[in-house]
Amino acid sequence: MRCNKATGYLSQGMDEQLPPDVTVELTRHLDGCESCQAYREDLLVARRLITATEPEISENFEWKLQLRLNQAMQQAVGESAYPWESDEADRWHWFRNFGAATAVGLAAVLALAMFIGPVGGPQAPGFVAPGNLAQNTPSLVRSASSGAVGSDRLPFRLDNPRGGLQRSVSTGANAVFTGGERFSLNRGWSGGNTSDLMTIQRLKAQNQQLNHRMRLLQQEVLRLRAKLDSSDSSALDLEQK
Amino acid sequence: MNFSRDEKPVGSSPPRRADFGEYRDEDLIVMVQEGQKKAFDELVARYKGRLFSFILRMVKDPGLAEELTQETLIRVYIHAAKYREIAKFSTWVFTIATNLVRNKMRQRSRRPRMVSLNPAPDEDEMPVDPADLVADPSESIHREELADLINEATSRIPEKYRIPFLLREVEQLSYEEIQQVTGLKLGTVRSRINRARTRFRLLIKPMLKNESLLEELERIEARAAEEKNNDQ
Repeated sequence: MRCNKATGYLSQGMDEQLPPDVTVELTRHLDGCESCQAYREDLLVARRLITATEPEISENFEWKLQLRLNQAMQQAVGESAYPWESDEADRWHWFRNFGAATAVGLAAVLALAMFIGPVGGPQAPGFVAPGNLAQNTPSLVRSASSGAVGSDRLPFRLDNPRGGLQRSVSTGANAVFTGGERFSLNRGWSGGNTSDLMTIQRLKAQNQQLNHRMRLLQQEVLRLRAKLDSSDSSALDLEQK
Repeated sequence: MNFSRDEKPVGSSPPRRADFGEYRDEDLIVMVQEGQKKAFDELVARYKGRLFSFILRMVKDPGLAEELTQETLIRVYIHAAKYREIAKFSTWVFTIATNLVRNKMRQRSRRPRMVSLNPAPDEDEMPVDPADLVADPSESIHREELADLINEATSRIPEKYRIPFLLREVEQLSYEEIQQVTGLKLGTVRSRINRARTRFRLLIKPMLKNESLLEELERIEARAAEEKNNDQ
């Protein structure tokens, strides 16, 4: 074995990477070669030097690691390690909420606008004047008076004799009071806001009349109950006597 | 004494920090996967010095070396669930560290630098100039100075040889483990370690003539052996 080959094998020999036959050959060469022995000694001292001079890490390493680890974990779970970033995020969060609320509001306004109909201008084909509401909405009146449910309760009707799209709401509520007078709450929205306002006014007036009548009847009931109580007690007294 | 996962008592309370010393690295990382923070503390205690030593000899900057050591350990913790015991834990850790160091060195090399009109020789072909490592061979050397000289000599080994060399000499990984960490072929690992040793020997050759250096080396080794005995 030559020296240049032996020095190549020496490195692997230090790490026990040589096959047995090469190890034997190298050992034989080293026994008779002083320069290769010196080379081997140098490699061994170099290894000792590297091991002996391992740098020392700072004492607060673990504390700093803990800080960085906390930050990394916060970021890993989606939280911000910096408060100004959270403020930023909150601001956008509010904007997102506001946007959603605005969208819902707009949708509600649009739905209401569709329900109420156009403000002013020419009357829509389905417009019904308040005076002849019942005449022009036969199906609405029929369903309201009979208290029918089902298809008649749908807000949109296509069976208007005038061919227009008619929107209707039927409460179908009938009230019968002690005086034998029959109150019928039939409401119809014809597509024009003027007529609707008049209908509302009319219903309000009816409601006030009914309330007034109810208060009178309640007073009457109280008066009769008091009279009954006094007459009953006198009757009981008479029986005991 | 090593414990395999099968030998761990089921349903018992988690071991205290002091008890983790008897577990293998691979068992500890499994405990970290199960959420035991103290097992990670033990891994940090075992690896922080080794990682710092390896990284410092690669980047030469103590502040940067500490930062990269922390980054390595943070990645170990965050990606603990990805570890599978098909490789040794040390191999996995040093793969992370090596990749971080390589990325950092690549970033450094991309920074704009002063350009010389005379083209620089290739890193492999750069002449070894060991004379300036030791100004006066007769002067006594202390541990810190010796460490600085060794770090300086190490940093003069080209990077592609230095990584397998340090993984072998500092971390004492096997050739197969170095192959896994670096992604090189086994023959390439052998030849790179051999080349790095030859170069390192040339660099420290003048220092080896200094008798006080060898005396200091023996003192350091004796102190280290004493500390090891005290710990046991």
